Amino acid sequence: MSKDELNIKDNTSLFKEERYVQQRENKKQFEAPCSEQETAEALAYSKSAEYMEKNFNRQNVVINPHKACQPLGSVMAALGFEKTLPFVHGSQGCNAYFRSHLSRHFKEPTPSVSTSMTEDAAVFGGMNNLIDGLENSVALYKPEMVAICTTCMAEVIGDDLNSFIGNARIKGVISEEYPVAYCNTPSFVGSHITGYDAMIKGIISYLYTRSGIESKPGSGAESGEKLNVLLGFEPYTGNFAEMRKILGAFDTQYTLLGDHSGNYDSPATGEYEYYYGGTKLEDVPQAANALGTLSLQKYTLKKTQEYISGTWNQQITALSTPLGIKGTDKLLEAVSELTGLPVPASLSEERGRVVDALMDSHPYLHGKRVALVGDPDLLIGLIGFCLETGMEPVHIICSNGDVDYNEVKFKDEAEALLASSPYGSEAAVHVGKDLWHMRSLLLNDSVDLAIGSSHLKFAAKDAEVPLVRIGFPIFDRHHMHRYPIIGYQGTLNLLSLIVNTILQQLDDNNSGFNFELVR
Amino acid sequence: MDPVRQDEFDSEACGSIAPKAKPCPRPKPGEAAGGCSFDGAQITLLPIMDAAHLVHGPIACAGNSWESRGTLSSGPSLSQYGFATDLTDSDIIFGGEKKLKESIDYIAGRFAPPAIFVYSTCVTALTGEDMDAVCKTAAERIGIPVIPVNSPGFVGSKNLGNRLAGDALLQYVIGTGEPEPGTPLGVNLIGEYNIAGEMWDIEKLMNSAGISVTSRITGDARYKEITWAHRAKVNMVVCSRALLGLAREMESRYGIPYFEGSFYGAKETTYSLRQMAYLMNDREMERRVDRLTEREEARLSQDLRPYRKLLKGKRAVLYTGGVKSWSVISALKELGVQVVGVGTNKSTEDDVRRIADRVGDDTEYIPEGGASRILKTVKERKADIMIAGGRNMYVAMKEQIPFIDINQERHKAYAGYEGVLRLAKELTYSLANPVWKLAASPAPWDREGPAYER
Ligand code: SF4
Repeated sequence: MSKDELNIKDNTSLFKEERYVQQRENKKQFEAPCSEQETAEALAYSKSAEYMEKNFNRQNVVINPHKACQPLGSVMAALGFEKTLPFVHGSQGCNAYFRSHLSRHFKEPTPSVSTSMTEDAAVFGGMNNLIDGLENSVALYKPEMVAICTTCMAEVIGDDLNSFIGNARIKGVISEEYPVAYCNTPSFVGSHITGYDAMIKGIISYLYTRSGIESKPGSGAESGEKLNVLLGFEPYTGNFAEMRKILGAFDTQYTLLGDHSGNYDSPATGEYEYYYGGTKLEDVPQAANALGTLSLQKYTLKKTQEYISGTWNQQITALSTPLGIKGTDKLLEAVSELTGLPVPASLSEERGRVVDALMDSHPYLHGKRVALVGDPDLLIGLIGFCLETGMEPVHIICSNGDVDYNEVKFKDEAEALLASSPYGSEAAVHVGKDLWHMRSLLLNDSVDLAIGSSHLKFAAKDAEVPLVRIGFPIFDRHHMHRYPIIGYQGTLNLLSLIVNTILQQLDDNNSGFNFELVR
Repeated sequence: MDPVRQDEFDSEACGSIAPKAKPCPRPKPGEAAGGCSFDGAQITLLPIMDAAHLVHGPIACAGNSWESRGTLSSGPSLSQYGFATDLTDSDIIFGGEKKLKESIDYIAGRFAPPAIFVYSTCVTALTGEDMDAVCKTAAERIGIPVIPVNSPGFVGSKNLGNRLAGDALLQYVIGTGEPEPGTPLGVNLIGEYNIAGEMWDIEKLMNSAGISVTSRITGDARYKEITWAHRAKVNMVVCSRALLGLAREMESRYGIPYFEGSFYGAKETTYSLRQMAYLMNDREMERRVDRLTEREEARLSQDLRPYRKLLKGKRAVLYTGGVKSWSVISALKELGVQVVGVGTNKSTEDDVRRIADRVGDDTEYIPEGGASRILKTVKERKADIMIAGGRNMYVAMKEQIPFIDINQERHKAYAGYEGVLRLAKELTYSLANPVWKLAASPAPWDREGPAYER
């Protein structure tokens, strides 16, 4: 049957019918003990400057959070390694949330298991759950490595992962050699990005230590020619592809440490496997001998960077997400510097094309006031992009922005970046704030455009500001994560996303006089 | 109050026949399992749309879950807000009670909700905070009900959480209010959460037969209407698994008769409406229901004709829990779709009996989760379509299996007579989409034969 022969109303149209309008009116009597007028007044008040001040003085409750917890990041990190099963030590619910959360963003399955702790584990500790869990999951899902992270519950009762894993080996549940990496990720500290960092560090330090290899970084010869690249908590599978493209153009050898793009962008072959792609386990200890390491999320990867520059004694270049022309320039310079290779002509040409595209669109971008929400490294990239296109960041919220790298705090860097351009003069950076704060900002001092995750849609709708979805999570749009936003190509994608949203708005708000064919 | 232990529930009878199996099976460590009790409690209570729902714990529980459930509201949206105390390490050490207290005050002051539900989580249950006491004094201070929901994740599964939420309703909400004089009293719908607006279809049907809904527990509910749920004449339990205990308790406390029913499938819908009228003890209403259901069924069977032709003999694997496991089978049977595999891991003994009544002998029961187990059934039984929840959807796509979402993330309403039609339509669309052919055929250069023939 190719066409809809039925007339079944969905509730959008159904409720426009008179009797439902009526019914809704009737219901109001027990919704709230106040009149329409009071409701309108309260709504108006919630938009006022007075309320905004109160809202910003709010200390103890988070309303509409814009961060997820540490173990969610760990699950993503574990999926970046070949045939590795993420294993969450805690009660079952957390893991179910992580799986749905990640799957709803990527539209792909997320293999991950938990120890399903219950109240006796709360009393006696979770060792038996961990040992049984290891036995069951290895038998069921046949991973080549298990990567364990904790949740708040395991942390509160003080479970000792290292000794539990040791006991599992003594009990013969897993062999002495079977690789099990782990990290501690209580949810009451940090956020998804610190959890990501903890697991990457957990895995690479574990695989390195057990290999017995000694790091002789940049020593050339057989193993020393490669470059290490870390993308970080990366919600865009397209960014991995873009990074490969760039490194391929340089013709350099490299190891991506933690590449979950395979797991989150696998082809439909008719057969589901649990594991796709990922960094090869044997490549990890070799990475200690690399030419150097390039990190694209310096705030996210803080501990991992410290480990690599410390224990591996490696030269490290840490950037924030390379968005925009300048951001990408920095990236290419860093690759060039670390590898000693010149920037390839193909990339210079691509740069020229994207600059051309930016020029084409600039009249529509200039002076557009923007609100931004995201993780720290993404925000640094986005601020840079806005400033170079003449857009004016106004409100910036970073819930998990209380991080520093090399003693520079995110907030300070963001503010310095904004101060470097006249387009940044109006901006204010708020760390530790949530999306309800953003709502106040949007309502009090409106902007032309909001940029952030799907969660921002409620505040944006209240304030009637169009939303461009960038970041994590994006639940309500399809395939956004497949398009890169880093590199010159990514810049072009960002640009078309933003400029076309603005053009669409122009059309939507235009009843007649300025409704034009050519823009 | 300590979180209720699971075995206290296990010993409690459930429904008219005490279930033999443990009502809420424990998950096995190391397997992919579903949501926790906290999640379950939220499923039950979040559809009280005008109340505020505050999660007391670290960011995990709220940050990963707020506003990700398709329970629709016809008015207020306070329930959509993600409120959390976002405990940090110092709160864990020094206690989060002050933060909780101030959070409650803030919400009350700013949002003036008719009630605030406060959820404990693994962490706050473990650190032994006296949430009940904080809620109690807060309620006295701010003059609105502040209801503690003691359902931390580790006490067990989602189902247990549904029941603990039902407990909270019994203890703190039901019976605390009275309807306005003149409010017509009828049926409480229990365990219907208005996913994709299903509740509205049901209500429309009931209204056409002159049956009024007294309280929605809890799809598209308002707090106040639940306070007077004890004045209803009949309770219908839509999701038997979760809230049967609530109905039983209301029967013994308030003498309200209850029955279990479903709105999936025309037969089940007709049965449910008849049962309501019968228990209301109103002859005239019974006659009205008869006329309505006859008319609706006739119209439906007319409308279904083109779909039946296409769906007849199709084979489906159904992987869902609770009441849907058997009632959706009824709906599918009416469409001529054969269920060749069915998940039973979240089903009660009663559910399994009902499944058995409805399917043939060659249907495979899938007792445990895990994508590979479901896929195996689909392959071995040569199923044409998989009907399951969101977490299995992407696995189905990988295997190129047509799929319909039946769980809480679904965007289509399948209840009532119109729901059967929608289901038929979705099944047909999913099966007939050209993408399956595209996916199944190799690229031209991988095909056999000379190029000009491919
Ligand atoms: S299992 Fe515990 S910590 Fe995890 S989401 Fe559920 S209540 Fe929260």
